[in-house]
Amino acid sequence: MTSSNSQRAVGDALKSFERTITQDRVDAYAEASGDHNPIHLDESYASTTQFGTRISHGMLSLALVTEMLAINFPDTWHNGGKLKVRFSAPVFPGETVVIYGEIMLIDESDAGLIVTCSIGCKKPDGTNAVSGRATVPLE
Amino acid sequence: MSVLRSSSTPNRQLDILRILLSTPLISIAEVGHQFGPYNVTIPSVRANAYAAAVGGDESPDYGDSLAPIMVVAAALTELIKDLGLFSGGLQTVHAGQEVNWVRQIKIGEKVYAAGRLSANSIRRGNHFATVSVSYTDSSGTEIGTSSSTIIVSGEAS
Repeated sequence: MTSSNSQRAVGDALKSFERTITQDRVDAYAEASGDHNPIHLDESYASTTQFGTRISHGMLSLALVTEMLAINFPDTWHNGGKLKVRFSAPVFPGETVVIYGEIMLIDESDAGLIVTCSIGCKKPDGTNAVSGRATVPLE
Repeated sequence: MSVLRSSSTPNRQLDILRILLSTPLISIAEVGHQFGPYNVTIPSVRANAYAAAVGGDESPDYGDSLAPIMVVAAALTELIKDLGLFSGGLQTVHAGQEVNWVRQIKIGEKVYAAGRLSANSIRRGNHFATVSVSYTDSSGTEIGTSSSTIIVSGEAS
């Protein structure tokens, strides 16, 4: 276990960050994921949908959340990490979101210490675009 | 991305039926329906696009490795295509996502995704579909799993 992991405690906030979801980021995510659904890319098409304009990929918001977990748990998130989230609201290009997390529980298992965190992606109006939980081994 | 399709008889019959009826697969697929396996190997050009989309000053240096969520997203794109959810008139909402990952993967490393429809119900006129996916490396070893829940409205079902 790294020294920073050994100092973690229930109630600790994870290192968070903000990200402005520009249309350039959405376009790049479409190239990365292969998801070229026009609701993300074509304003004239998107204007006919329930949202009235283009929306970001939900998985882009989730990718930001996993980025936050990789920052906080660089040695272990990609080697045994788990998450479960729900998507509650769309993110519109131009919005700045806050990616956050908090330690809720630290458990000892046969495999070592496991931390459970609440995680999410918050919109400018304070609502969650993504929210859920992640479990990450600490060692 | 190349797509490998299962040649199992039930899937093929459903594919033919779907084409004949011009109906999205989600309308007729039963729980247990299998998808793929898809080749979801991520080349460097797509890894670079991911970094442009997601990255920032605080982002970790992945080196020659990938964020596994990118593989999950690539598989989800193929699943949505196969479910017929890019059809006009359908409103699709990605409602939930689970991901479990065992180890890091490298850019260009062969990864295959095999899906299974684990739930498909209609409530208040909306389809609720959940697809579970297993990711394996070139040796056939499972390196991750995911589960995606999708809600579809606007469908004549």
